[in-house]
Amino acid sequence: MFLVYLVIWAFTLLAGASAVWALAWAVQTGQFRDFRAGAASIFDEGEPVGRVTDAFPGEGKHP
Amino acid sequence: MTPAVAQPLPEGLPGDRLSRIQIDRSCRQTVVWYMVSAVAWLLAGSLLALLASIKMHTPGFLADADWLTFGRVRPAHLSTMIYGWGSMAGVGVLLWLQARLSRVRLPLPLLLPVTVVIWNLAVLYGTVRILQGASTGIEWLEFPVEVLAFIGFCMAVIIVASVLMFVRRQVKHTYVSQWYLFGAVLWFPFLYILGVVLSEAGDVRGVAKAAANWWFAHNVLGLWFTPIGLATAYYMIPKVIGRPVHSYHLSLLGFWTLAIFYNWAGTHHLIGGPLPAWLVTVGIVGSMMMFIPVITVAVNHHLTMAGNFHHLRTSPTLRFVVVAAMSYTVVSFQGSLTALRAVNEVSHFTHYTIAHAHLGVYAFFTMMMFGAAYYILPRLMNTEWHSARWIRVHFWATSLGMALYWLGLTWAGWRQGEMMNDPNIPFLAIVEYTKPWLHSRSLAGVLMTIGHVSFAWLVWNLVRQRGAALIGPTLLKRRKSA
Amino acid sequence: MNRSLTIALGIMLTVVLSMAGLVLIPNWQFREMQQHKDDDGNLWPVQLEGAEALGRAEYVSLGCVYCHTQQVRPPNYGADLDRGWGFRRTVPRDYLFDKPHLLGTMRTGPDLANIGARQPSRDWHMLHLYDPVITSPGSTMPPHRFLFEKVAPSDRAPERAIRLPDDSGWILPSARAESLFAYLRSLDKSYELPEAPQ
Ligand code: HEM
Ligand code: HEM
Repeated sequence: MFLVYLVIWAFTLLAGASAVWALAWAVQTGQFRDFRAGAASIFDEGEPVGRVTDAFPGEGKHP
Repeated sequence: MTPAVAQPLPEGLPGDRLSRIQIDRSCRQTVVWYMVSAVAWLLAGSLLALLASIKMHTPGFLADADWLTFGRVRPAHLSTMIYGWGSMAGVGVLLWLQARLSRVRLPLPLLLPVTVVIWNLAVLYGTVRILQGASTGIEWLEFPVEVLAFIGFCMAVIIVASVLMFVRRQVKHTYVSQWYLFGAVLWFPFLYILGVVLSEAGDVRGVAKAAANWWFAHNVLGLWFTPIGLATAYYMIPKVIGRPVHSYHLSLLGFWTLAIFYNWAGTHHLIGGPLPAWLVTVGIVGSMMMFIPVITVAVNHHLTMAGNFHHLRTSPTLRFVVVAAMSYTVVSFQGSLTALRAVNEVSHFTHYTIAHAHLGVYAFFTMMMFGAAYYILPRLMNTEWHSARWIRVHFWATSLGMALYWLGLTWAGWRQGEMMNDPNIPFLAIVEYTKPWLHSRSLAGVLMTIGHVSFAWLVWNLVRQRGAALIGPTLLKRRKSA
Repeated sequence: MNRSLTIALGIMLTVVLSMAGLVLIPNWQFREMQQHKDDDGNLWPVQLEGAEALGRAEYVSLGCVYCHTQQVRPPNYGADLDRGWGFRRTVPRDYLFDKPHLLGTMRTGPDLANIGARQPSRDWHMLHLYDPVITSPGSTMPPHRFLFEKVAPSDRAPERAIRLPDDSGWILPSARAESLFAYLRSLDKSYELPEAPQ
């Protein structure tokens, strides 16, 4: 039983230091600022906003 | 045009210019093998599903051996689908997305492929043990405990890979999908280890074991499949249609509210059961709070799509992903309502729950993985899908099958529950009532299996590189500069 | 590295809290829970031993839990009591020794929390296990013929065998079938507990 509690509490301690901490990090490093840039971060010059990137085989109009 | 793969790539590019093609190539071995294994388990799981489904209306079917009895085939179906198909497809997609979003190569190129082998052996061993009768008897944790060691090892490697990618990331902004994926990768092994420990520990007694059971089972759905599914949607929808997410700030709110509320909802699986009342109430409250993350996600996915529905005609990925995203909204609303005591009084012990379960794991998660596979695999194999027709067969067979499954059993389950709550109706009359609907589920299962076989056929041909070399937009940029 | 660690820890905290709340705290509540001693000095619930315990393992192994619950809901919530599935609602103490728990979530078949009280007949259970439609026409429960040996019709009944009603022979229960019956027979919560009056 000791082992069980050890596992549980070890995990708890290991894992549980703080959600606040993560949130604080996110706020500090500007994860919550400039949402427009955030949303655009998956696009780049190779695949810019406005480019459709999937089509049925043989049916796509590739630029 | 020659496939781009034939060209040597310059090494030592500055990180932020590491091209998609290099990243995709680094993922090839690991991700393709995760996906191919997943598809093999999907076929095995479908066979077990059909068996289970037929046995529910024709109990004499293949009933002469204990390893084929319903009570073994059914957990084998769940386990192959959840740990074989769902989780392996999930890991494949998760690794690829993380590499892409961090814009780094997939790390651990030797260790990660080894995890594919170990994971497969673990699921195979676990499934055989269930059929032999060595199940633990705990729903969703039927695999014998030793399986934990193998899947635990794989997850440890996957965590290391995820952390390495995150640490090395070349993009300043952490995209919302990364939050979800990072959450999933850390939550799942934690849940699994504690799920097993709490179930086995002699110190956790009686119905506390039931609470542990459903804390685990619920969180596998909410903190493993759901975040992977949502991360996929958050990437695929904007990426395919070429338009940023509608309200990005909502997406982050959605992540944190999911993280905070979902894991409190597990005891809604035990409403009316012999547990302290406060415990079940906590589960119900958690389920109600889930409206927040669900609505934020719904707003984002559906409004990003607004005005872009014409792409559904041309993009296979988008078709599956959009059906999946819509199903997520529906299943979650249904779930929150189901958690209300008055509704659960009728629906709890019936086929209604089974319909909800498949709306979640199938119409949402499985369809999402299909969509992701259509996007990812051609890029990794550098080959087009060989046939648009088979893709259409796959889409329509699975969609119609799923619709039939859900509509039939939702209706029949509700009636079943109402009749069960009327003590004047004999139990066997209720059994009789459900039979036609159970037949309709078998029909649905045949349709879905036809879809799965079409998909497997497509993947097989893709992996054998039977399609045309890919000349999609992904590769265009690279080819010019090389 | 620091940052990733921070996020990691934060992400975990929420789940850890829920695990403590939903599992550890209730378990704490149950720490003091003991068997109840009735007026005659009997202890309830009884810890299963021997054939009954083996039968429970058989119930787990054959997956009966996927179609049968073992929980009786309170009055005015469903019709469990009206259907005769119990004498009173079941409470945590009834499950003191359950490992694994077998509460179940599906009633493709009826609840079994009190099946031993409702249907104590060995013949009935053996015929029902052998082929459920013998006793329950229209039932969709799978036949468990593999737990029996079929013996050709003859006038001299083999010991412990049960005669098939259509006179096609006798069925001889295996040890597994006997233990399964012993377990089913033990499912009887007609004892009283102070927290759950009848
Ligand atoms: C806000 C979101 C959701 C809520 C509040 C919710 C609520 C519920 C409730 C109350 C049940 C128990 C039904 C019963 O036994 O009476 C249930 C079962 C289930 N749900 Fe959901 N659900 C939600 C979303 C989902 C999603 C997204 C998935 C899939 C990814 C899912 C998959 C399942 C499955 C598989 C079961 C059956 C579990 C079992 O009995 O084995 N749910 N849900
Ligand atoms: C070929 C399509 C499928 C068919 C015909 C099918 C059929 C079934 C059947 C007959 C059951 C047992 C229901 C019962 O006990 O009353 C079941 C349960 C289940 N299946 Fe499927 N299934 C299919 C696909 C899937 C997939 C792809 C997944 C997961 C990704 C899945 C996950 C589950 C789960 C989690 C349960 C347990 C539900 C619960 O306890 O509420 N199934 N399925």
